[in-house]
Amino acid sequence: MLLIPCPFCGPRNESEFAHGGPVRARRPDPDAVSDAAWVEYLTVTPNPQGPVQEHWWHVRGCGTWLTLWRDTTSHDIVKGPDDA
Amino acid sequence: MRYDVTCKQAGLSALFDLKGPQADLWGWAGDHLPPMPARPNSLTRRGGRSLYHIGPRHLLLRTGIAEEEALERALGPAAAPPQISIVRISDTLTFFAVTGRDADQVMAIACPLDLHPAVFGADAVSHTEAFGLKAMVLRCEGGFECAVEQSHGDMMQDYLNRALT
Repeated sequence: MLLIPCPFCGPRNESEFAHGGPVRARRPDPDAVSDAAWVEYLTVTPNPQGPVQEHWWHVRGCGTWLTLWRDTTSHDIVKGPDDA
Repeated sequence: MRYDVTCKQAGLSALFDLKGPQADLWGWAGDHLPPMPARPNSLTRRGGRSLYHIGPRHLLLRTGIAEEEALERALGPAAAPPQISIVRISDTLTFFAVTGRDADQVMAIACPLDLHPAVFGADAVSHTEAFGLKAMVLRCEGGFECAVEQSHGDMMQDYLNRALT
């Protein structure tokens, strides 16, 4: 179970949140990249071993979207939202 | 084991959802609101009205249902400036009062929030989850109030009944 630091509510149980996926690079211009690069962007989710920056939505709490760093090997939150 | 708890579904309250910058909300409707709660997830009361600070730039105004129409006229949601939102939501939430000696134990089954008085004091109010449902929890005399979306009311009642036995 994760205790996620919400900037508004403070530390809250993971079950109050919805995972919003990893923070990704900006969407490329589909007309300016190859088909392979566009398909890669659309279908391949970054899944590094170690810290990954993720979006979380406090959907059962205050409604805030936040961004934090979670280590995929230890499940630890290594860096919370800047204002939490 | 039976818990020494009474669970009672409360009647309707007049509820208004207020969103927007604090200065704009107070500029438009400040005369009709209790003071702004000092902290996130806390409430203030004045003259039978309660104001819940439940999210960033998000407040909930609650009062008796008899005052609903007059308060809506006073708040003037249709004419409010575009940077704020005032919406009557009285019918969208069902409140339950969970009171009695073991109220904290039943609420500990229901929701993951730390409800110890040192953390969740008399003026605390927060959205969280109760039995997996999105819920708003606050203290009341002798226990807690828990509000869920109206359509989940029967489910919540069922969950509470099961928790009590």
